[in-house]
Amino acid sequence: MFKWFHRLGSPKIFFEMSGRWQVPLLWLSVVMLTGGAAWALLFVPPDYQQGNSVRIMYIHVPAAILAQSGYVMMSGAAAVFLIWRIKLADVAVKCIAPLGASITFIALLTGAIWGKPTWGTWWVWDARLTSTLVLFFLYIGVIALRSAMERHAGAGRACAILALVGVVNLPVIKFSVEWWYTLHQPASFSLTEKPTMPVEMWLPLLVMVVAYYLFFFAIWIMRIRNEILLTEKNTDWVKQWLATR
Amino acid sequence: MKFGRMKSHRRNRMLIIVFIVCAAAGATTFTLFALNENINLFYSPEQIVRGEAPLGKTIRAGGMVQDGSVIRAEEGLGVSFVVSDLKSAQVTIEFEGILPDMFREGQGIIALGQLTDKGVFVAEEVLAKHDENYMPPEVADALKNEHQSSAETYNKANYN
Amino acid sequence: MNLFIASVQRDLLVHFRHPSEVLNPLIFFVVVISLFPLGIGPEPGQLKEIAPGIVWVAALLATLMSMDSMFRSDFEDGSLEQVVLSEQSTFIFVLAKVASHWLLSGLPLVLLMPLAALLLFLDEAGIWALTLSLLLVSPTLSLLGGIGAALTVGLPRGGLLVTILVMPLYVPVLVLATAMVQAAEAGSETIGYIYWLLAILFGAVCLAPIATAAAVNVATDQ
Repeated sequence: MFKWFHRLGSPKIFFEMSGRWQVPLLWLSVVMLTGGAAWALLFVPPDYQQGNSVRIMYIHVPAAILAQSGYVMMSGAAAVFLIWRIKLADVAVKCIAPLGASITFIALLTGAIWGKPTWGTWWVWDARLTSTLVLFFLYIGVIALRSAMERHAGAGRACAILALVGVVNLPVIKFSVEWWYTLHQPASFSLTEKPTMPVEMWLPLLVMVVAYYLFFFAIWIMRIRNEILLTEKNTDWVKQWLATR
Repeated sequence: MKFGRMKSHRRNRMLIIVFIVCAAAGATTFTLFALNENINLFYSPEQIVRGEAPLGKTIRAGGMVQDGSVIRAEEGLGVSFVVSDLKSAQVTIEFEGILPDMFREGQGIIALGQLTDKGVFVAEEVLAKHDENYMPPEVADALKNEHQSSAETYNKANYN
Repeated sequence: MNLFIASVQRDLLVHFRHPSEVLNPLIFFVVVISLFPLGIGPEPGQLKEIAPGIVWVAALLATLMSMDSMFRSDFEDGSLEQVVLSEQSTFIFVLAKVASHWLLSGLPLVLLMPLAALLLFLDEAGIWALTLSLLLVSPTLSLLGGIGAALTVGLPRGGLLVTILVMPLYVPVLVLATAMVQAAEAGSETIGYIYWLLAILFGAVCLAPIATAAAVNVATDQ
């Protein structure tokens, strides 16, 4: 049943398979990113209240969504590593942590830039913003633990445990808006509900969200491939692969 | 001998499971209790009018800025306005400083400040609440002109 | 159960013989608290307003200071490995470690609370709320901190790392606890906060030792 799963867990097979996907994925995401950004910046009508500053949404909202789901993906990989001891899952955790931290940083930064014209302040200590900041610290924690344990055999398991502990924080992020009545509006985009935005505003947002995800996956896969080459550099298949380059 | 040890080992395991289950049950119970209690960091105009908000303490208050209620001081940055919950409750807010760009009549705001015994809310900070309903200006105009009552229900939905 | 009691007894005994490790975080706590009036100014109204935050941050830092030593000496003399290899449950051992940590660092902090509140001119309602909030939260602090302590036990300069790893986990309790004290000072209802803090405490009791036990296994498995 888990045959394909274990097969994919082999670094060699993952490397071969991802090699075919990597380049088209990257190109698609870059095209969608530029297209979506151009659409959002040039053609989307300004908001009736916020005017042109609403366009920051097209950078901020996808980053904020990805910041959270990036952590879920990381802890998913961490769980796979702890349960099945698939080495590749550990590599995936190692490679996603800095990516997630940077996307969270982008979400915080664009949120601050957006907050200035709309709320009248760069930063508000409300639940949502605070929990995104905490999410950023959680990523930093995983990165810091990894770099401190560089020479330890247990580094992967320790980081996986920490990632899973941190995932407990995610419901807090989810429900924080309901716990504390605050400035931050409820999530502006959800798949289950009918969007409150008109189609010409949410469609480019959807494009941007998908583009962010694709770009994230492309970079993630590239990082994993690099890591595989580094750790497997003494194996025959890597030597053969290098010879064909 | 060995059998006895196994037994204590197994009893330990059972103890742990019982312990975890009890703790989980406790966590769930208290979460349910907590959800029933309303933690208030924010007071609506209605609560302030009813006297539920503490006097002289820094609290958050908010509501919709009433149309035509904004009075600016002749000198300086002083401004006073009335916020309401679109029903009967109204609270006067006084503020001295620069209001955010998004501040306008009919818009939701949140103020951080203190309630005086005269029922006036003296704000130290006024923040505009932006809602999740994004729309182009033409749509907003159309909505406004369309029908007074529908615009009001729209605003209500906004505020909530 | 025997393991739990034996382990707690042993930890208490060890620390009564060498009290400096227990006393230092407490002294640190008092010193930090008394620095704030010196830095901000002795005006009672101002101090009273920021007292919950000051006391809470000082308490967090004091707890984190003592966190590093939770498993360290056991790790260094090899008894941690013995426990993991034995048939005894690591879960119970970890729980005992957390319990003795709380008895030696959390509980003394709770007892110091009235003193801290006095230095910062808190009124009676504030003192009670502060003490109660710390009583409810300090076991959570020990439980969550235990995860960080176990993860970093074999590492040099683990103390700083514990702070980075554990601080984010402390944020929700910090927010709720200070909000509770402020609500009590304002004369409003605090029961909602107490329920939340209890819910978090029970959640931590059931989940944190699992993670800590797993981390102890990793640390000894080299």
